[in-house]
Amino acid sequence: MSIEAVNITKRFGQFTALDNVSLEIPSGELVALLGPSGSGKTTLLRIIAGLEFPDIGTVRFDGRDISDRSAQERRVGFVFQHYALFRHMTVFENIAFGLQVRPREFRPSRNQIRTKVHNLLKLIQLENLADRYPSQLSGGQRQRVALARALAVEPSVLLLDEPFGALDAKVRMELRRWLRQLHDEIHITSVFVTHDQEEALEVADRVVVMNEGRIEQVGSPDDVYNRPASAFVYNFLGNVNLFHGRVEEDKTYIHEVETGHVVYVRPHLLDIARLPNGGSHFRARIKHINAAGPLVKVEAIAEWGDPVRVELPQERFRSLQLMKNEEVFIIPKDVQVFPVRNEAARAK
Amino acid sequence: MASITLPNPGVLAASRAVQATTEQPWVRWSLIAIAVAFLGVFLFLPLAIVFSSALERGVSVYVGALREPDAMAAIKLTLIAAGISVPLNMIFGITAAWAIGKFDFLGKSLLITLIDLPFSVSPVVSGLIYVLIFGLQGLLGPWLAAHDLKIIFAVPGIVLATMFVTFPFVARELIPLVEAQGTEEEEAALTLGASGWQTFWRVTLPNVKWGLLYGVILCNARAMGEFGAVSVVSGHIRGRTNTMPLHIEILYNEYQFAPAFAVASLLALLALATLLAKTVVEWKARQQSTELQRMSGEAL
Repeated sequence: MSIEAVNITKRFGQFTALDNVSLEIPSGELVALLGPSGSGKTTLLRIIAGLEFPDIGTVRFDGRDISDRSAQERRVGFVFQHYALFRHMTVFENIAFGLQVRPREFRPSRNQIRTKVHNLLKLIQLENLADRYPSQLSGGQRQRVALARALAVEPSVLLLDEPFGALDAKVRMELRRWLRQLHDEIHITSVFVTHDQEEALEVADRVVVMNEGRIEQVGSPDDVYNRPASAFVYNFLGNVNLFHGRVEEDKTYIHEVETGHVVYVRPHLLDIARLPNGGSHFRARIKHINAAGPLVKVEAIAEWGDPVRVELPQERFRSLQLMKNEEVFIIPKDVQVFPVRNEAARAK
Repeated sequence: MASITLPNPGVLAASRAVQATTEQPWVRWSLIAIAVAFLGVFLFLPLAIVFSSALERGVSVYVGALREPDAMAAIKLTLIAAGISVPLNMIFGITAAWAIGKFDFLGKSLLITLIDLPFSVSPVVSGLIYVLIFGLQGLLGPWLAAHDLKIIFAVPGIVLATMFVTFPFVARELIPLVEAQGTEEEEAALTLGASGWQTFWRVTLPNVKWGLLYGVILCNARAMGEFGAVSVVSGHIRGRTNTMPLHIEILYNEYQFAPAFAVASLLALLALATLLAKTVVEWKARQQSTELQRMSGEAL
């Protein structure tokens, strides 16, 4: 089922959580709402679910206006950040809940419910834990139960609020691969909220980057990472170095003083050399080297006094044999230039 | 995570703290002796006297005192008053806790203050309020008299006074519990298609059942034991408007010590049963709250 949010505005007292936001999600896609806390992403998700109602705007499912429908009527599967499992019910009862509360004429028989729940337990690989209570499960297991409970009612849309936020790094990685796999199997239109850009880029078909109640960019992970629409997007999707600069006849100049533009360079798009290469470069002194990890992180001080972060492949680092306090040349391989905006300054 | 492999610093600190803050043996033992003596004189001795005085003149006098018509009427009236006020205050307590715990609205703290009012008002004043409203010289007195309705010096007045005095017990017990549990589970139930009623019966209520039971037990104990407010509105008509505490007072004032203590022993038994039930429920509720803490702790 496709989802459309049209001109949504939502205020909480003085705070504007969503400012005239419009978003279209085609049927069957897995979409990430990505942004820092307070960007309005969770509010948008809750409005789609019917747990929150917008001050202005409409929500449509498959073109039908459902703005006035309650959460109970919308048939969405919602997975909460802290799972919200019913703590006095077993895993089985939790998953069966959505089926058991149906009006009698739509309620499946006891046997049908049992079969269905067991199929879902198989799907989440927790068949032998049906009689456990939520407090007896690990975080990752609870998350999967919450997902099975949401899927049990055969929702038309699956909404997940920071689904992996409360888990440790390793479990998080496993679960997000599993979610991607699951989505490839059942093709349900899914929207998940996250503040982790890596998670959004890895799992989603499309990423919606949000900031301060507005949508900054909608695009494929490749689009938003490699062709950012704004300084905020570029800044939010990875580490960056910021320089003052200006653009003249297709050439970018980096300046020491404030200008109308800001030049953004990702650390891995900077190279280090002992000699100037004839192209663009600037001088710097190496301050700190951290060689642990796939990339060597070098911190340097540019000739005008600002810190610069550079990330080099291990082989490049070894062939250069850099030393602390050495004078080197830094060569930008690719830069992005955006006009100065308040948001960019704040995001820094 | 690291604390699993390292020796737990909390435990070490605690055991050192016990050593650092402990006192000389003679100080410890004399403090314990004082506490035990205090408990003995003010709690166990009176309890023993109630039962020994009640049975002083034999079991037949004891049973006779309880089966005497006025005593039976007092017991019945006490059961009626508690039987009406406890369920009503339970419903009120649940709705108040639900409204206060799950929603934000203007005047919320005023409502909480109002709920606490019966705790801060003297029971005698609580009774007088009803006399001033429903009594013959009271606000509604003439109207009630004209319609031949009797509230003061009758059963309705006793029920009203009992309700007022026991008003905060259930609500006070539930409000913090409901607030701590938040609204996520209810939201989950709604998105799964449950109606408001289904959500309440299947999710909200089961989550607070031990707190609710605890509140009801306390509420019931107070409803049966209330003296002051009921005394003002009752009129002390033997066999008609006397509750157990009032009946005991009358017997005692008439120097009928054995029957007075016999009826008193029933109330004492109620207190003991309440204490036992309270302990069991507290233990269950604590289990539930550690579970709640563990779940939210891990979720963070």
